[in-house]
Amino acid sequence: MKQSPLRSKHAPMSVGAAIVFFALLAGCGESETNVQSGNRTGTLHWGNAAEPQALDPHIATGVPEHHIIGALMEGLVVKNRDTLKPIPGMAKDWSISDDGLVYTFTIRDDARWSNGDVLNAHDFAWSWWRALQPKLGNLYAYMYFPIANARQYYQGDIEDFSEVGIVAIDDLTLEVTLENPTPYFLQLLDHYSLFPVHRATIEQHGEPDERGTRWTYAGNMVSNGAFKLTEWEINRAVIVDKNPHYYASDDVRLNRVVFYPTENQTTEERMFRAGQLHYTGDVPIDKIETYRAAKNPALKINPYLGTYFYRLNMRVPHLQDSRVRRALAMTIDRQLITDKVLKAGQIPAYAMTPPNTLGYYPPTTFSFDPAAARKLLADAGYPNGDGFPVTEILYNTNEAHRKVAIAIQQMWREHLNIEVQLLNQEWKVYLDSESSGDYQISRAGWIGDYVDPNNFLDMWLCGGGNNRTGWCNPEYDRLILEQAPSAATEAERHAIFKRAETILLEDLPVLPIYTYTSKHLVHPSVKNVASNILNQNYFRDIYLQPASD
Amino acid sequence: MSTEAGTPSIEKGSSLWRDAWIKLCKNHVALAGLGLLIFLCVVSLLTPWIAPYGYEQQDLLLGATPPSMQHWLGTDVFGRDMLTRIMWGGRVSLTVGFIATAVALAIGVVWGAVAGYIGGRVDMVMMRLVDILYALPFMIFIILLMVVFGRSMLLLFFAIGAVEWLTMARIVRGQVMSLRKQEFVEAAHSLGLPQWTIIRRHIIPNTLGPVIVYTTLTIPSVMLLEAFLSFLGLGIQPPQSSWGLLINYGVETMEEYPWLLIFPGIALSLTLFALNFLGDGLRDALDPRTAKD
Repeated sequence: MKQSPLRSKHAPMSVGAAIVFFALLAGCGESETNVQSGNRTGTLHWGNAAEPQALDPHIATGVPEHHIIGALMEGLVVKNRDTLKPIPGMAKDWSISDDGLVYTFTIRDDARWSNGDVLNAHDFAWSWWRALQPKLGNLYAYMYFPIANARQYYQGDIEDFSEVGIVAIDDLTLEVTLENPTPYFLQLLDHYSLFPVHRATIEQHGEPDERGTRWTYAGNMVSNGAFKLTEWEINRAVIVDKNPHYYASDDVRLNRVVFYPTENQTTEERMFRAGQLHYTGDVPIDKIETYRAAKNPALKINPYLGTYFYRLNMRVPHLQDSRVRRALAMTIDRQLITDKVLKAGQIPAYAMTPPNTLGYYPPTTFSFDPAAARKLLADAGYPNGDGFPVTEILYNTNEAHRKVAIAIQQMWREHLNIEVQLLNQEWKVYLDSESSGDYQISRAGWIGDYVDPNNFLDMWLCGGGNNRTGWCNPEYDRLILEQAPSAATEAERHAIFKRAETILLEDLPVLPIYTYTSKHLVHPSVKNVASNILNQNYFRDIYLQPASD
Repeated sequence: MSTEAGTPSIEKGSSLWRDAWIKLCKNHVALAGLGLLIFLCVVSLLTPWIAPYGYEQQDLLLGATPPSMQHWLGTDVFGRDMLTRIMWGGRVSLTVGFIATAVALAIGVVWGAVAGYIGGRVDMVMMRLVDILYALPFMIFIILLMVVFGRSMLLLFFAIGAVEWLTMARIVRGQVMSLRKQEFVEAAHSLGLPQWTIIRRHIIPNTLGPVIVYTTLTIPSVMLLEAFLSFLGLGIQPPQSSWGLLINYGVETMEEYPWLLIFPGIALSLTLFALNFLGDGLRDALDPRTAKD
């Protein structure tokens, strides 16, 4: 999972306002804006949506952290920013055995840490050992599970790490053995949970499996990416500077990136207009039309591999009847929501997996049909909504979530004649309520970590950490855990996913609503900004080129 | 004025409220404010019957439209009629304003008057308690109240009132401290009036001026506090609304749909103007020291 606070969290206004205030204050002394001075000095001003919770790649889980860590560190492979095809990163090349089980990586011999230390295969083996320590509480540990025995080791069934399929054969060779052929394994390597960390630094500041030590502080942190951490001012900015020890540092054209925790989208948009930002993490809904009408080239809207949905709590008595859940699903007019409420080209979603995820098209089991829904609700014992308990939609404080919830509340009221209340909570409280099951219906979003249907389906396993609905279906688990990984061909694998997703959509513990689009304002001087469906950016490629006039 | 006529006229003049009313009637601005307030209250009371649309009634296909014949004040992004929403929002805002302020007024005046009049150790203890409550972040206090007692609109009113009385208590105490040394209080004292009667009959009426001014300032701040709490999810929840909330959301789209900000803004400002003029008039009218011509 990657929960996206960008789309999930509403700002304490004061933070954004303070940033604007200071930005304006700074603007008083000099007549240059951030963008102008940035273009002159090679400094990119990046709206990063939220204050990062952590910069430790084995602890962080969010999208804002993703951007910063992606600038600071690099995995064995990186992806082409347009096609998302794996290309050499820390590994200069690799070979895959014929059965697709053994990957042998050759580490590049000029790989260095930002303090000049040599980076070798043992660093990877140690980092991955650390990431699998249960005490570290790595929420992304399951990203390692395609590796042979990684799950068993993480769950404590195996004590000896040497049985896990990770071996540094020599300084420059890393051999990884998988449990099953995993078509998306190379993609995982570009995810920050599999990034290497600097052993000496971590051990200097605490135990390897200790959370929240000072090793990620500016001045302590040693990393291996195109940039290194220079400054981390809480709620003000994270500043990274070009890393001279990076193997391709000659090709890195930015000297500095400043990440701002711009939580309020309205404030962020104003900062952009005032020339304080090169790039915004999001665009307020009501501004999209304005930018479109003005044909402003700064507005960039791209398909985004993520699904917006509502979780239904299966522990709530009146939501346990699948006819009720289906009736709720069938009375959300998704087209109206995407066209009239969200207005940024989102696609109505009737399934969990976004369409055409690596050639996979999800099944559909229902459509917008109020009449049939009313009948289902009547069958469930609530004719014309009579006697249906007041139901509450929980969402985290955010303008867009509020709008979607208000629209759905009215649709259910109109089509099913049921009473729905809205409850908004601050991001952390909301996460707490959701994971402790203290909700009835809760809004959620799921952004792809890698391009594969598995990423959207393995969260619904019985008792999965991100399931949170209490839904459990042994047949579903068997399909996802046993059948899909051992499928011989891509087509067979997709067919199994389709069967699994059909089970999910027949039962509907979740109501898919729409497929995301990513929305940004990008200053024309910024080149090589990614437009891929993971919205993954490579700062080593980005450069600033002001218009000549 | 002759001395013979003095006795009955003292009897009559002792009715502070009658005097005040006569004075108020001469103050046309204050009277206009009072009229406007009454009008707003009546409209709010009658809203369920006279509102042109339902406050939750959406028309997503219509979306946000500027004022027109069908929708006099335009519609919001959900196609909901703004006039209707302002009317319904006024119910919430006015109720919050009056109830919460009344709560604050009741606690604050009594607390401050008692502390100021008795003085000494009692005053010390009472005012330190106020200081302690001041030191508590009021937001946390309200949120705690809401968490313990659950979310209900009535509780929200009382919670806000329970927080807003502190300043009132201080103002009243200061006023009372200066009053209780004055001759007319000593006179009342030497006539053997019980303390509570002195507080009620002589002290509190004399503090009315600052109290009324502060009250007219409290009502708008209470309305905005409600909007803030609702924004955090502790107050009014959609599809219900209040003026504060309407303004809050209107600000975000003021460049695209200015009418979503302007009309609720006008409604709130008009109310505040009316309150201020009325408060001003009342202060002049109620001050006992200017009661005699």
